Amino acid sequence: MPPSHLVPSRRTFVKGLLGTTSFWLFSGHQGWSDALASNADSPYSPAYFTAAEWRFLQAACERIFPHDDVGPGALDLAVPEFIDRQMNTSYGRGEDWFMAGPFQDGPANLGYQLPLAPRDLYRHGIAATDSYARQQHGKAFADLAATDQVAILTALEGGAVTLGNVPGRTFFEQLRTNTMEGAFSDPIHGGNRHLGGWVMLGFPGARADFMDWVDQYGPAYPFGPVSISGETA
Amino acid sequence: MKTFSLALAATLALATAPVALAEGLDDPDLVKQGAYVARTGDCVACHTSLHGRAFAGGLKISTPVGTIYSTNITPDPQTGIGTYSLEDFTRAIRAGIRKDGATLYPAMPYPSFAHMSDSDIRALYAYFMHGVAPVNQPDHPVDISWPMSMRWPLAVWRMVYAPKPGPFVPTPGEDAVAARGEYLVTAPGHCGACHTPRGMGMQEKSLAATDASYLSGGAPIDNWVAPSLRNDPVQGLGTWSEDDIALFLKTGRTDHAAVFGGMGDVVAWSTQHLTDEDLHAIAHYLKTAPGVPASGHYTYDPSTAQTLASTAPSNSSGAGIYVAQCAICHQNDGSGVARMFPPLAGNPVLQTQNPASIVNVVVHGGVLPPTNWAPSAVAMPGYQHALTPEQVAMVVDYVRHAWGNSAAGTVSTGDIRRFASVTPSESTAGWNTASNGWGFLHPQPYGEGWTFSPETHTGADEAQ
Amino acid sequence: MSIKNPDAIVVGAGWAGAILAKELTEAGLSVVMLERGPERTTAVEGAYPDSVDELRGAVRHRLFQNMAKTTVTVRNTPDQTALPYRQLAAFLPGEGVGGAGLHWSGVHFRAAAEDLTLRSTVVERYGEKFIPEGMNLQDYGVTYDELEPFYDKAEKVFGTAGTAYKVNGQVVGDGNVFAPSRSDDFPLPALKDVYSAHLFRGAAKEAGYHPYSLPAANASAQYTNPYGVQMGPCNFCGFCSGYDCYMYSKASPNVNILPALRGNPNFSMLTGAYVLRVNLDDDKKRATGVTYLDLATNKEVTLNADLVILSAFQFHNVHLMLLSGIGQPYDYAKNEGVVGRNFVYQTITTSRAWLSEKQFTNQFIGTGGGGVAIDDFNCMNFDHGPLGFVGGSPIWVNQAGVKPIAASGTGGGHGAPRWGEGYKKGLVNTYKHAVAIDAHGSNMAYHDIFLDLDPTWKNAYGVPLLRMTFTWKDNDVRMNRYVVGKIEPIMKALGAEKYELGMKKYGDPFDTRFYQTTHLGGGAVMGTDPKTSALNRYLQSWDVSNVFVIGSNAFPQGMGYNPTGTVAALAYWTAHHIRTTYLKNPGPLVQL
Repeated sequence: MPPSHLVPSRRTFVKGLLGTTSFWLFSGHQGWSDALASNADSPYSPAYFTAAEWRFLQAACERIFPHDDVGPGALDLAVPEFIDRQMNTSYGRGEDWFMAGPFQDGPANLGYQLPLAPRDLYRHGIAATDSYARQQHGKAFADLAATDQVAILTALEGGAVTLGNVPGRTFFEQLRTNTMEGAFSDPIHGGNRHLGGWVMLGFPGARADFMDWVDQYGPAYPFGPVSISGETA
Repeated sequence: MKTFSLALAATLALATAPVALAEGLDDPDLVKQGAYVARTGDCVACHTSLHGRAFAGGLKISTPVGTIYSTNITPDPQTGIGTYSLEDFTRAIRAGIRKDGATLYPAMPYPSFAHMSDSDIRALYAYFMHGVAPVNQPDHPVDISWPMSMRWPLAVWRMVYAPKPGPFVPTPGEDAVAARGEYLVTAPGHCGACHTPRGMGMQEKSLAATDASYLSGGAPIDNWVAPSLRNDPVQGLGTWSEDDIALFLKTGRTDHAAVFGGMGDVVAWSTQHLTDEDLHAIAHYLKTAPGVPASGHYTYDPSTAQTLASTAPSNSSGAGIYVAQCAICHQNDGSGVARMFPPLAGNPVLQTQNPASIVNVVVHGGVLPPTNWAPSAVAMPGYQHALTPEQVAMVVDYVRHAWGNSAAGTVSTGDIRRFASVTPSESTAGWNTASNGWGFLHPQPYGEGWTFSPETHTGADEAQ
Repeated sequence: MSIKNPDAIVVGAGWAGAILAKELTEAGLSVVMLERGPERTTAVEGAYPDSVDELRGAVRHRLFQNMAKTTVTVRNTPDQTALPYRQLAAFLPGEGVGGAGLHWSGVHFRAAAEDLTLRSTVVERYGEKFIPEGMNLQDYGVTYDELEPFYDKAEKVFGTAGTAYKVNGQVVGDGNVFAPSRSDDFPLPALKDVYSAHLFRGAAKEAGYHPYSLPAANASAQYTNPYGVQMGPCNFCGFCSGYDCYMYSKASPNVNILPALRGNPNFSMLTGAYVLRVNLDDDKKRATGVTYLDLATNKEVTLNADLVILSAFQFHNVHLMLLSGIGQPYDYAKNEGVVGRNFVYQTITTSRAWLSEKQFTNQFIGTGGGGVAIDDFNCMNFDHGPLGFVGGSPIWVNQAGVKPIAASGTGGGHGAPRWGEGYKKGLVNTYKHAVAIDAHGSNMAYHDIFLDLDPTWKNAYGVPLLRMTFTWKDNDVRMNRYVVGKIEPIMKALGAEKYELGMKKYGDPFDTRFYQTTHLGGGAVMGTDPKTSALNRYLQSWDVSNVFVIGSNAFPQGMGYNPTGTVAALAYWTAHHIRTTYLKNPGPLVQL
């Protein structure tokens, strides 16, 4: 069992006072402690997404990253949990982006120009996609057959579907990106449960020491992954 | 009470050797000499708070009954020592008695300073009066509740344990260089304050190298164990050359050692500023002091490296944890990286009976103090978040017995748990060592856990 | 402790600023360094294992510029409305002490001799008409021979690892046969080849090319540099680009220079100090100091000094010059002015080879500066006569450590599914068995590619954003397509089961959503003619002689190589001339 309290030591706290923006800031530790404390076997209760949004996410993420014979899928890897946690970070609140107005449309190659933070993009995009699903197939996205779900996601990606003010492709790319992050980031962020994403890729995780392996030419690196918190698989 | 201390003060004043007249004290050369003497005594490290003004006091020193704070020794007349005469100054340093007659807490190592020379004290006085900027900063009140806050027991302690102030007498038969080294180590350097084990009354057990306990390694202070400075090949400086010792004091790092804990401040604020002659004198003294019975003999064992080469990183065995967390810097063969990541194979710090230091470093990490000759503040991360107490115990036990290391005993998870729950500057109650049985109303200082080592600047304060 | 009246102000705590601050303090000046970002130390930012977190590092950009406060606007052509670059993607500026120098990769090159005299060389070989209409091809005003001692000094400070070809005219090793002679060998031997680089080396040789080890500022062994600071040996951890190196192996201002600076009482650094402008006297010929915003108190502070060094990174330098009125701003319509002119970048594409199932490329093993390259199609090393373009690219395997989230973007390569069915199979196969080969090429300067101030958007401090007008031009696309075609024989020699050549397409506009490199350059270039340069050959402003502007802003065109090595050399070159000439007699160092 890891130590239950995570008050930074005096030395690092003093450094925090000096204004570094590193992970030693207390809120970062809180997230970590939450993640460690949550037991993967007990069901996760989303902190940001509503029940309906949560159902959407579980279905959509699994379509993007399905369980197959290559390896685990988004649900195996707790990807929706990862995304939910991300919504309560500075990233999820859009504080990492330049969100000053005015906001103007432009060509796709000049990048994201919406006034929506990720959490707002999800709120809007999920509702609009569900509307679209009801319109096309009479049911919410999560209740459709997998092939219909794939078709909707493909339509969003293709750029022909607009979700209100939001281009369908923008929402889809957000979802796809966060799904991949959830599959492959360190489990302290809530996803990559049991390091399943890393095992599939043969990635050693937070190992970060290959001095003795640089000149082993040809064979796969033989050791399994280790996470920042020391979890192995 | 007052009569008693006055009488005491008078007695000691008579016992004190007369000091030269206080004239010519603002001579710039004398002030400069005094600045150097202050470096040898490392006054600044204790008498400056974290990020504080030099010598203005306020550094926290934790004790089992509360906290004391270092005092303002700038020449400010109201809040510092501006009104001290040379005699007042001398009595404080050599005898541990303040201008108002009260006895100082022996966090001030006056038992060592008792033998500082007249000329050094005079130069020091000149420096503090004319070379240090006055700072108006009242002393932080001592944070100890009554009855522990009574001061008179300190005077009792002083009478019982402090040596009579007097001129330094080198060990007979010593060459001049070693004599200079012995003076620096014994008097202003007060190395014994940390490096000599303490007795029941928390006095240093011995004050001269003729006694084998002198500089033989201290009890845990702030969960650091100041290692032996005697020539033991396993737990002391037996495998170090004089050049190694001098380089260590100058830069905090040699090919086979890295400074940590309270000694980081000593290097950063004191020894890196000493002349090469003085550093070599200290080294020469330590290497020519009378021998002590060897605690064993170290032989490198190559089988550890072989085992680790085929060990997978894991969190369930000492070897697996070592490969996952430690080998990246300290290498499978325990050799580290010269002058950056100290070797673990054969390292005396890992082989002390009391494992406090190595546990402290693993749990809280460490930073090499930047020095003028080696400015890199190389850091080791702390592992208290990455490793559970069980895992820390496993890996510490592993390294204490790997590569031929022969530490006595094992480390228990309970020890680590207790350790990890305090910040580095607080003390734990001890490490499987017998309590000395003192009761509630002790004359201060007393018992395990009394600390003479204040919170360290290293890692928290920028390089000067 | 802050110095109230410094002799010099240095804006920006990255490589250029750290070098200038070190040199000026050695000359006895008091220096205040102003950095708008936070303090950064390896002990905190590189604390293992927390720091080896791909999400917080390269994905959430922990050590990079905080875009929420300030950014740039971007458009492709002058007739468009530029829009804010709201999310970090195409280029990744740093912020905080060390700047991008803290989290860069470490590839550490000297310019090719002809890179510095590109216009003269092209004209000499192919005639002036070879230069396309609208291309502002220029010389730097300084030669390789003049810079050589400063390249040497920079490499020794950085601890650069490499294999030399010629030292003092003698061939000493199997280094880059196209590289000019050096006065000394590299301070450290080349890093080992990872498997991909090893295969590339063999295949390139077989294809008749001349492979060499990339010069890398990632120490191949424990090293102490001339300032007494220490570097540890690189262990190929793969968490290089975007991260603070916990081994002290990757050269950075924080590891290599600042420890020696911090102990100097003549040096003082203020973090959270956002410089709003350089203040000029009434004649606009002399700087009096700077005004900065103290981000902690939100108060403006004016600091006076006789010497101002702008070293805030290429485009921040140009931005400050425009905001401060230093030099004449470039006017695109009139084709007049110099500040903002010759804005350049890097033309880079990635090709990929898939090896057999038995060959595991272990792409997570890597070092930022390490790898193997060929220069056969870089710079002026080949005959451009029949080809009709200016420029070239080195071609290399530079495996810095590919981690899963980044790999998930690549997936199975072009044409492979990006998600859903079949995606994971392609992803896993690519991650385990593929080799990435880059053509990392030059980018020329054009009349209609420039920097100026945006008319609409302001940052959090009320300052108009810098506007970038940038897209890819046919000359550079042609160059890229030609060079990438030359990778094909290497692919065949690798015995790749499958390969794809990544080439630029004519007409594709610059896309801010996809990472290129952060090798932006130009905008305040050095040169010998004030009509086409903002700085003279000592990087001194032509207009305000006590302002020196150090960075890749000085490059008149983007070279094939990475820029940091040349930025460092120019910084030492400038510092040398400030110390030996300027300080004795402040004023313009070049008389016209």
